[in-house]
Amino acid sequence: MKTLRLMTMGGVLAYRALFNWTRPAIFVGTLLVGPLFQLLFFAYLGRQLQVADDRFYIVGNAVLTATLACVFGGTLAVGNERRYGTLGHVLLSPRSRTAVFLGRALPYAGNGLLIAVVTLTVGATLLGLRFPARAISGLLLAMAVGSLACAFFGLTLGALGLRFRDVWVVSNVAVALLLLLTGVNVPSGALPGWMVRIGEFLPITHAAAAARDLAAGRGLAAAAPALGREALVGLGYAVLAAVLLKIFETESRRTASLETL
Amino acid sequence: MLALGTLAHVKQMSRSPFEVTIALVVPIVQATLAVYLFRAGHEQHRLLQAAVGAGLMGVWSSVLFGSGGAIQNQRWQGTLEMIMLAPRRPVLVILPITVATGLTGTYALLATLAWGRILYGIRLDFVHPFAFVVAAVVCIVALGMFGLLLASTFVLMRNANALTNALEYPIWLVSGMLVPITVLPAWTGPLAAMLPTTWGARALREATSGGPVWPSVAVCLGISVLCLIFGSLSLTYVERRARAAATLALA
Repeated sequence: MKTLRLMTMGGVLAYRALFNWTRPAIFVGTLLVGPLFQLLFFAYLGRQLQVADDRFYIVGNAVLTATLACVFGGTLAVGNERRYGTLGHVLLSPRSRTAVFLGRALPYAGNGLLIAVVTLTVGATLLGLRFPARAISGLLLAMAVGSLACAFFGLTLGALGLRFRDVWVVSNVAVALLLLLTGVNVPSGALPGWMVRIGEFLPITHAAAAARDLAAGRGLAAAAPALGREALVGLGYAVLAAVLLKIFETESRRTASLETL
Repeated sequence: MLALGTLAHVKQMSRSPFEVTIALVVPIVQATLAVYLFRAGHEQHRLLQAAVGAGLMGVWSSVLFGSGGAIQNQRWQGTLEMIMLAPRRPVLVILPITVATGLTGTYALLATLAWGRILYGIRLDFVHPFAFVVAAVVCIVALGMFGLLLASTFVLMRNANALTNALEYPIWLVSGMLVPITVLPAWTGPLAAMLPTTWGARALREATSGGPVWPSVAVCLGISVLCLIFGSLSLTYVERRARAAATLALA
């Protein structure tokens, strides 16, 4: 119970303190308007090239929009502690640092889910996409699982912030690569095999596929395998993040490089 | 003074591992995305156009984030007041920053073309090669001027990065850099016509695939001059307003 409280309350407090985009203007501009136009950009491009239908681009990009909050949030969750000089205090805590940092992924996942829902709703309304009402709960589930997997992915990148100074480079490049490798904008059949393979180990890939199945009315049973794979990917990144945080914490203590800016 | 200022800012940007890595990697990812998309759409004959469009997207990103980030960076470094206090017109102090971002964005255009040639075998068969070079130069200058106009508004805005983060895709979309304007709703047409990015993209596309390049170059240049004039006036106005209200730092 105490650990659960540490993860949830600690995560919320860290979100409020460390996430740079909580001010309304920045939140709306960066996390809502920008992703919406990203969806519109690829939807119109897809229409013009006739690569895939609107559902492919709208649903896929809506799920992908969670990456902004999740990837950068995870990076900020660790990187900003270092920037503000509070990292040492966190790592000195007698509580489980694994629980502390893993809990930080939760608000970002929630934020990512909100962005995905808003983007899907507005994008589908603007572009005239309809999907079955019975698919809504499944779509929410797919976006939630995708957001959580992406949040743990972001936390894994954030763990690098304990070791490397310019972790923002990694997060920016990661967001760009997710655009390409998750099969959200280029169907998997049009990508080289090695890119598809890499994409299978990235967040969002399977969640987007599941969301498309659900939006097409194929039901939760059809989407379940993809959702399961996304959950596994998320779990893998959660474990990787925990391991990396532990390793880099130990290394930073040993070399006294924790507060190196 | 403009040349030295531009050089100074280019050098400053080149010292940032973040700026260098983003400038190196992201355009290539965008170009790869464009190539595979166009291939998937059976538009192999338009791959060069796709590479040019993706490169121009990279130039805009560099100008947008560079211009917006420049003002914010100056503010965070505590040097915004000093550069605005310089005994020169504000435009002469800010313009080198925005032009520098356009110059660094040139790499994006060159990198996507090189990447396309080396990795995907895209033949660099420009219908009007000389016009392409001229159009590219004009386009980059125009984007720098447009960046100046944006930067003049960013001086007053505390949350300038909210706008910079929101303006990347809209400009890519409305300017027709990769998505033809003809597939967009009709009401976007007048909006697109006012943007120098639209005419720059059109000039580059016409130089690549054929068409009347020089009228587009002329319109792009004309709009960039208007951006310079309005940006200059706007900077003078916001500087005076910020001085009167003591809000320049907005820390």
